[in-house]
Amino acid sequence: MLREWQAAFAAQLLTDASVSEKRLAIHRHHVASSLARALAVSFPTVEALVGAEFFRETARRFVMQDPPRQPVLAEYGAGFADFLAEYAPARGLSYLADTARLDWALNVAFHSPYAGRLDAAALATMTADDLAGLSLAFAPGVALVRSAYPIGLIWKASQPDAGDEPVDLARGPARVLVLRQSDGASFVSLGEGEAAFVEALDDGRSIEAAAGMAAAAEPGFDLSRAFALLNTCEVFAALQH
Amino acid sequence: MEHRMTPTRIAIAAALASAIASPAAAQMPMKVEKCYGVAKAGQNDCQTDHSSCAGTAKKDNQPDAWIAVPKGTCQKIVGGVVKG
Repeated sequence: MLREWQAAFAAQLLTDASVSEKRLAIHRHHVASSLARALAVSFPTVEALVGAEFFRETARRFVMQDPPRQPVLAEYGAGFADFLAEYAPARGLSYLADTARLDWALNVAFHSPYAGRLDAAALATMTADDLAGLSLAFAPGVALVRSAYPIGLIWKASQPDAGDEPVDLARGPARVLVLRQSDGASFVSLGEGEAAFVEALDDGRSIEAAAGMAAAAEPGFDLSRAFALLNTCEVFAALQH
Repeated sequence: MEHRMTPTRIAIAAALASAIASPAAAQMPMKVEKCYGVAKAGQNDCQTDHSSCAGTAKKDNQPDAWIAVPKGTCQKIVGGVVKG
């Protein structure tokens, strides 16, 4: 019995099939580790949070479960945040999936084309009625990421040059607006009213309707301040009629 | 659109006009975090790093019993409830 098995094993080792299986394993490992590296580039905050070793294994498991469906590596990883939310070894890090969402939004913004922006001066000549009824389109890459956790502070604490100060999760929630500016991706933290304003505009509502919803979300909402902030952050691409 | 110069609309117009007229940077402390992503250059290069080639392929066969312990800046994140 054993002898037969050994003979079969030896024969197996010497066949072409065995050689190709070995070559395949090398190739498979190369694919998995290349993709894991690509994910580390797209999710630097997640990698900093959990460390390189934990990240590599996590990414490898994600790659096996959800391999790329397109050729551009920078576009790979859309499902990584959802994967992390269900990933048992990271269960203790409740904020990890939302942090991945921020990383992903920054990655998308970074790879979005930087095209034209709204010339706000054009608004100055409009009547009050026309202004109030206006809708504004956001530039490609602009995205609002909401979290129960202070993901902006977590991002900051995970930067290579960050100090040792701890981040208290009680400092959430966060409303982080991811931006595509001429020199790359960035983000700014919004108040509740500002976030509601952005969401309403993004839904295609008029400035008047959006301002109303923002004031309902946060009684002290300051439209002038919010608009100045958003305009300075170059979030508006154009007017929508 | 129906034209009605309501007080709300006049207030909106005034708010936008002042936002456009005065530079926002002077109005508020800007806290924009820059995320340049310099490391992204060359992301699509076909890397021939030795660590992904022959000899390390055995790592693909790590058992599922692999015990993962996150070790990174997560040690700086405090508070909250650890989910069971």
